[in-house]
Amino acid sequence: MRTGKALRAGTAVTAAVVVATTAGCSTRAPESSGGGGGEGGAAAGEVLTDVGIEGETIRLGVLTDLTGVFAALGQDITNANQLFWQDNQVCDTYTVELDVQDTGYVPQTGVQLYSGMEPNILAMQQTIGSPINTALAPEYEADQIVNFPSAWARTLTEIPGTGVVGATYDVELANGYAYMFEQGLLAEGDTVGHIYFEGEYGENGLAGSEAVAEERGLTIIPAQIKATDQDMTAQITQFAAAGVDAIALTVAPTQTASAAGVAAAQGLNVPIIGSNPVFAPGLLQGPAAQALKDNLYVASPVSAFDAQPELLEQYQAAYPNVQPSLGVLVGYGMSAIMKQVLDAACENGDLTREGVLNAFNELQDVDTGGLVVPINGFETGVSPSTQSFILRPADVPGGATVVQEAFEGEFAQGLA
Amino acid sequence: MTQFLSLLLNGLSLGAIYALIALGFVIIFKASEVVSFTHGSLLLLGAYSIARLSEPLGFLGAVLVGLVITALAAFLVERFIINRLRGAPVISLAIVTIGVDIILLTELIRRIGPDILNVPHPWGGESVRIGGIGITQNRLIAMIVAGLLIAAFFVAFKYSSWGVAMRASAEDGETAALMGIRQGRVSALAWVVAGVLAGVAALFLVGSPTPGVSSAVYATALRAFPAAILGGLDSTGGALVGGLLIGLAESFAAGYQENLLFLGRGFGEVVPYVVMIAVLLVRPSGLFGTKELTRV
Repeated sequence: MRTGKALRAGTAVTAAVVVATTAGCSTRAPESSGGGGGEGGAAAGEVLTDVGIEGETIRLGVLTDLTGVFAALGQDITNANQLFWQDNQVCDTYTVELDVQDTGYVPQTGVQLYSGMEPNILAMQQTIGSPINTALAPEYEADQIVNFPSAWARTLTEIPGTGVVGATYDVELANGYAYMFEQGLLAEGDTVGHIYFEGEYGENGLAGSEAVAEERGLTIIPAQIKATDQDMTAQITQFAAAGVDAIALTVAPTQTASAAGVAAAQGLNVPIIGSNPVFAPGLLQGPAAQALKDNLYVASPVSAFDAQPELLEQYQAAYPNVQPSLGVLVGYGMSAIMKQVLDAACENGDLTREGVLNAFNELQDVDTGGLVVPINGFETGVSPSTQSFILRPADVPGGATVVQEAFEGEFAQGLA
Repeated sequence: MTQFLSLLLNGLSLGAIYALIALGFVIIFKASEVVSFTHGSLLLLGAYSIARLSEPLGFLGAVLVGLVITALAAFLVERFIINRLRGAPVISLAIVTIGVDIILLTELIRRIGPDILNVPHPWGGESVRIGGIGITQNRLIAMIVAGLLIAAFFVAFKYSSWGVAMRASAEDGETAALMGIRQGRVSALAWVVAGVLAGVAALFLVGSPTPGVSSAVYATALRAFPAAILGGLDSTGGALVGGLLIGLAESFAAGYQENLLFLGRGFGEVVPYVVMIAVLLVRPSGLFGTKELTRV
């Protein structure tokens, strides 16, 4: 009995110590300004700083998905972020360190992890997933955080400081449709079945389908699913019964494999157009590989490795055991844009959060050397780009090749 | 009509897989009076093991070893946790299984990580056309295997000494113990059988038309839960009927989504639970469950 009491008391004391220590750790250091610390270079000496810079090290946050539905993509984007910052500095002075946390694609987890990292970061290099970005929007705004989402939902462009890396899903899919019309894969008055996730991502994609449908007299058959639904048989059966001429997807890779496989099984041999998250190279090892190669077209904000052989080589050298997806280009591209923002802020002599946010807002005509589609600028509520690449699955690293270089489809301006 | 038949066939094949999982729930409940929430992670463990072992052992070897691993995991949960807590309130045991489930699931998700694991089924993504209706070979084989396994189980349940012992234990544990039936052994065997059934279900769940092992496999087990409940948690026949009913309801609700728009999009997802509630309102013990009688 005595032992029990002692144990309880001990546990209570330990718990109290842990709480106290943690609380101590999370207290923000007093505001410091005028110089990033002791022996900074010439540039560093004249630059204003506040949160997230210690000495000549800038700390950026990464909220990614390493264990949830977009894990394959999250891993590659994050690796590419790391790879970029290993080789690049801000203002030739500051090195960048990333604080990488895994949300598992759960918004609540994302919010908790962010509150843990917030006192120590200057900006967010990456936040994966529309729901998590939306959940964190009020905090990003309040904390003046510049953030690059690995998501392309329209609502994200409404968040001040959040820079969608390419066209939003509606514009992206509309560019996909434009390509299909150009290639004669789709004609006016056709019927299209659209499978989409509930929530921002899926519904924004559907908005693209509906806008094109209105202009070209298409009939859209929408089928909403949850991220955990894996079997697309019922939806494809419904499309087959309706005699669809094409299928549109705003889902995750597993649903794409199921949809393509089932469509082939049912003899529904129609083109499939998807937004960029629908594809992962791992699918080409699965049973739906041939169906995907035959019918899938992906509208994408990034190019493929056939246009970026050096990046592929570099990535494979750094991560030899990973099968690289196009997330590598997304990650490398978004880091390149972040570098341009931070360089501009540094040149303005203001690397505080506010200074970084101002530099972000002033950024225009961003060029990443063909990694990402040309970005016009980050204006609230406007798609940052009107262009997309069109990719097709193939047995090459990254699993896809470019069949259409970055272009602005006929419906893009109307939607942007 | 083609759409109807196609959805029917798809619903039945999905239902057959649900029935395998639901049968596991029921066997465990009958033998150890525990509502086991560990099934989702057991299912994922089966799928993960088979996918990972396919390369070194080949498909057949991976399936056999995968089933053994799943059965062994179920056995260990029973031996080291459930058996030691015998006599604890039923609710506590159920909560304990939730805990075990979360631990196992977290580890599996960590291990699966960013990969999309593929099980190289020899039948791949091939499909069969019956009349105008297409079904993947994987699902067709699943239906046949599930049918055979369930039939074999019913025979064993009725005629084997284990089946008799289990039925006696479920009927009246104390009397059965007095008659010399070793309840611990009956319970352990029940968990092993449930583990194997979950492993078999997993094998087919990660094949066409839902290729690839991901954490979403886990969610399927949760859908088999209403199947077991609406059939009657203590009825093996009920698990079969419940599984098929849920599979059909889900398939039709998703396939005729357009006609059900007044109920809102994504209605297919809630259908298993709506069917379960509807059945329970009419028959509180499920379709084939035993009514609890209290003599006063």
